[in-house]
Amino acid sequence: MRVDPNLSSLLNVGIQGTEQALNTAVQQLATGQRVALPSDDPAAAAANLQSLAESANVDRYTKNGDAVLSQAQMADSALSNVVNELNQAITLGTQGADGSMTSEDRAAIATQVQTVLSEVVSQANTTFNGVSLFAGTAGAMPAFATDSTSPSGYSYQGNSGVNTAAIGDNLQLDINVPGDQVFTNPNGNVLGSLSQLISALGSGTTEDIGNAVTAVRSALTSVGQQRVLYAGVVNQINAQESYLSQETLSLTSQQQSLIGVDITVAISNLTQAQIAHSTILAAAAKVLPTSLLDYLK
Amino acid sequence: MIGLGASLSIATEALGAQTAALEVASNNISNANTPGYSRQVVSLSSAALVQNGTTVDEGVSYQGFTSVRDSILGLAVNAATSQQGNLAAQNSLLAQINTAFSGTSTGIGVSLSTLFSDLSALSTSPTDPSARQTVLSDANALAGAFHQGAAALSNASNSANQQVSSVVAQVNDLSQQIAALNGQIAGAEASGGDGGALTDQRDQLTTQMAQLIGVSTTQTDGQPTLTTSNGSPLVIGDSAYQLQVTTASDGTAHVLDGQGNDITNELTGGTIGGAITARDQTIPALSQQLDAIASQFATAMNAAQATGFDLNGNPGAAMFTVPAVGNAAAGIQVTISSGSQIAASSDGSAGSGGNVKALLEVQTTNLPSGANPTDSYANLVGNIGFAGSQVNSGLAATTLSLQQLSTQQNSESGVSIDEETANLIRYQQAYSASARVISTINDIYGTLMNMSLGEG
Repeated sequence: MRVDPNLSSLLNVGIQGTEQALNTAVQQLATGQRVALPSDDPAAAAANLQSLAESANVDRYTKNGDAVLSQAQMADSALSNVVNELNQAITLGTQGADGSMTSEDRAAIATQVQTVLSEVVSQANTTFNGVSLFAGTAGAMPAFATDSTSPSGYSYQGNSGVNTAAIGDNLQLDINVPGDQVFTNPNGNVLGSLSQLISALGSGTTEDIGNAVTAVRSALTSVGQQRVLYAGVVNQINAQESYLSQETLSLTSQQQSLIGVDITVAISNLTQAQIAHSTILAAAAKVLPTSLLDYLK
Repeated sequence: MIGLGASLSIATEALGAQTAALEVASNNISNANTPGYSRQVVSLSSAALVQNGTTVDEGVSYQGFTSVRDSILGLAVNAATSQQGNLAAQNSLLAQINTAFSGTSTGIGVSLSTLFSDLSALSTSPTDPSARQTVLSDANALAGAFHQGAAALSNASNSANQQVSSVVAQVNDLSQQIAALNGQIAGAEASGGDGGALTDQRDQLTTQMAQLIGVSTTQTDGQPTLTTSNGSPLVIGDSAYQLQVTTASDGTAHVLDGQGNDITNELTGGTIGGAITARDQTIPALSQQLDAIASQFATAMNAAQATGFDLNGNPGAAMFTVPAVGNAAAGIQVTISSGSQIAASSDGSAGSGGNVKALLEVQTTNLPSGANPTDSYANLVGNIGFAGSQVNSGLAATTLSLQQLSTQQNSESGVSIDEETANLIRYQQAYSASARVISTINDIYGTLMNMSLGEG
């Protein structure tokens, strides 16, 4: 049987094939990616997009967590100050309730309690990035403003809104307690009990002062209860962040296995392509110049 | 007729026959690299005639030459070439599209997740104007990404459309050349010859035609006939039938045959078949999917906006609009002009981020098409990839089988220079031997002459 006399066209096809293999191997090594176009591996390219979207979410959850964390820590430290102030008020009130106190002494103590009250109000008006932390979702203005019509001298300007932050897929975290729940809660009214104490020290009996101190004590308990939310937020975010950082790692390795190149495979592909390429070039060099004419001289 | 005169004429005849053989060999060698050339073999036969019941040898007779070709193999080559043309056209269009949708750090997928990611930031700082502005510019970037995706698809579709027109022009040109060659070949055959090199040229042009538009070759009333794969005539004998291009109402180029019938949907082979498949089937399916994502996503975002209030306490306005008719992805626009219009608030107060949850849920809620926006886009990219890889592997397989067929064809018809060189030597030796016969007879005549002169 006759064979194709045109060796060069056969060799060209072969050379093109090995060049292509060489090209692919070099490109994979240079980019570190096995899938450059969706057509290289459609399923992997699609899965990679989903994984990338999940990665972006995880990054965002982490950032949200960070933002909420500093906010919650700030609120928690404000409430911790309030607790200290309330303890001081209780100490002062207990002193004032002593029957040996003169009305001048009590007036002096009342002034100190007044300082405590304004200190507490200033904690209640704590802002974070210009937003009042205890005004519900109406954070643009201070949570409490002076109001002569109110018994405590202050009234709540915020609302009862609660914001939530996304820190995970389907994981929304309440991130604030409205100020009226913390500072003017009927079960322990911080501002009310302090002003009750001030007026009892000013004009009340020893018994009135004692009652006012008891009211401050229950306000203290109430603040302690409300603080739990912020402590919970901090704990939950810390736990979630360590989960998210693991998630980031596993997503990155997922993406790597989807479209990344296995370096050992890529290097062995490159070596194979190199060998195949030089083999076919050597074959071409050997065969192409051969002609009967060379032997007829 | 026995005698020196007969030997002389046999030798002279042989000189002619070897010269003709040398000519064929030299023609083969000179065309060794001519595409489509089929090697020719000289046909010689021993001449003899019967006189008075006795066979008398009369040396060699030159019977002309024939081209060595396998016409069945030629048909197989044409069929494979046509399929290769189809897949190559589709492959280059889909490669364009695949490149446009290959981004892992740019494109619709990234814009979607950036938008949701920055929206999510609003939940912790709903009043932050820069966070709102970021979301607005993300929405614009997403609309831009949709536009680019739609443009990539429509660019590919347009270039397929241009291909249809340009292929028709090339086909018309080729069919005229083939018709002209048919006339010349018929003339050569009528005078008892072989079309030879003309047939090679015609076969070569037919293969080119197959590359552009699937062809089938038959005979009509003894005339070679070339039709498209659906049977519309391109060439019958020496007449060419021109195809025409008209622009349909949707702006696409349609192909009409010589009788004015629209044969666009029946053209499946060659470059034009590939371009039409891509333009009328593959790309529209992908565009439709992209448009569905754009319009359903816009609807879902707008619905989520409507459940909340913007920074100024107004009910959330629509964030996107898509054209009621036509391409949603190409026409999607952001309709809010300020970050303050993002409806983050659930109760109308500026500091509320309660509706951010509703906006974020768009990312994880299935669109009417059955998957959430991210997954829908990933599906689209998957489909683009599948279309590309399918055509790609088809092309690789067809190219391989075409190579095998052409190797087979070359082994039949290709010129081997070594073979021709050997033939040259053979014919040269035969020529020298015949010349020697003539000079020997000449010597004998000389001897005879001298003998009679010497006696006289």
